[in-house]
Amino acid sequence: MKHWILGLAALMMIALPSQAVAALDGPKAKTIDELAAMFDASRCKGCHGEVYDQWSISHHARPQMGVHGGLKDTPLARAGATPWSPEHPSQATLDTFPCFKCHLPQALTHAEDSVAAEYAQALVDQDRAKIGKLQITCIVCHNNKAIIHRLQEGEPEPNVLYGTRNIPNHPDPVFTEIRQSPVMSEPLYCGQCHGVGVNLEFKNPVQCATIYGSYQHAYIPGGGTQSCQECHLYPKHNGVADHRMLPDWNDTELMSQRLAQSISLNMQAMGYEWLRGGGDRPSRLVVETKIDSSAGHRVPDG
Amino acid sequence: MTAKDLDGKIIANDTRHYHPQATTQRGSNVMVYGAQWKASYVRDTSLQPFQTKAETFEFLLPEGTRCADVEVTLRYELDNPKRIIPIHQRSKRVSLDRCP
Repeated sequence: MKHWILGLAALMMIALPSQAVAALDGPKAKTIDELAAMFDASRCKGCHGEVYDQWSISHHARPQMGVHGGLKDTPLARAGATPWSPEHPSQATLDTFPCFKCHLPQALTHAEDSVAAEYAQALVDQDRAKIGKLQITCIVCHNNKAIIHRLQEGEPEPNVLYGTRNIPNHPDPVFTEIRQSPVMSEPLYCGQCHGVGVNLEFKNPVQCATIYGSYQHAYIPGGGTQSCQECHLYPKHNGVADHRMLPDWNDTELMSQRLAQSISLNMQAMGYEWLRGGGDRPSRLVVETKIDSSAGHRVPDG
Repeated sequence: MTAKDLDGKIIANDTRHYHPQATTQRGSNVMVYGAQWKASYVRDTSLQPFQTKAETFEFLLPEGTRCADVEVTLRYELDNPKRIIPIHQRSKRVSLDRCP
């Protein structure tokens, strides 16, 4: 009996670690907690500490929070505030939040409408703790959004993470393999979410970020050759890309420095007496400014 | 852009705004904010790649004003006019002959 109990305990100890981590090919999440658990990447920190720490202070770690903690989707949850708003939060569905397309893409593939209803209530309640659980984690970028050419490369596999190289044995209970995705170093990868223009696939048009469109239609025609990654993730340090992926609009001092590095201002000023004619000599002040930007897109966007 | 006389009184002031501007495309030229409302740009004064944004500010100086302190500031307004990220500031004293 004692040996039988010990054997059962050993079996449970082996089974529990993978059961505690939700699989991507299981049932869709019904609650915010379930969705958060499904895409929880906190265990990545064990081996990828530097990257995880960078990500954790990035905007990708707080996609629903806006800048300085603002809950940008709040109007969508308030009855009558927008064309999308339900009469009551309980009536919200995934269609209520077109923003999920980019701000929480995993909700569209792995969540039930009940998650949207819970999210709407959380917005009404201004529940930042609950809303803050919804993040664009490692798993979203390195699985859910990692393959774009799905007719040629298939769907992302539920036990594979995608990166810039192949690693057949990855010590993770769910994602046991790393496979190279050819698009991850390409600007198109970022363009999935960082916007070409107006989104016309919804019942009402939605226009948020259009920065990838600016990259394509202003920077590239102007002769630009750098990718998004070259400015926003590279250079790599110790072989690791910077996953803070600036800008970070919550860090005013840092962004002031970064903007000053990429935008130049030249000012010329003079005062003189202008000879209008017939002894009329009004004094004039003339100020001329020239601003140049080295960004690969318009500044600002949105 | 602000110009002040030597007593600190503002004698000239102007502002330029650089940003894309969108409407709902439902038949009125009313600029809107918010992804749930915007449907297309109707004007775009943003800083663009490889394009210099050149501006001229020109004023008549008040009678008797021979010197002025000019200051130009470039700043990033985040989501409302109270959230400002400073970028650059340039200052110059201009005169028609000599300043004290």
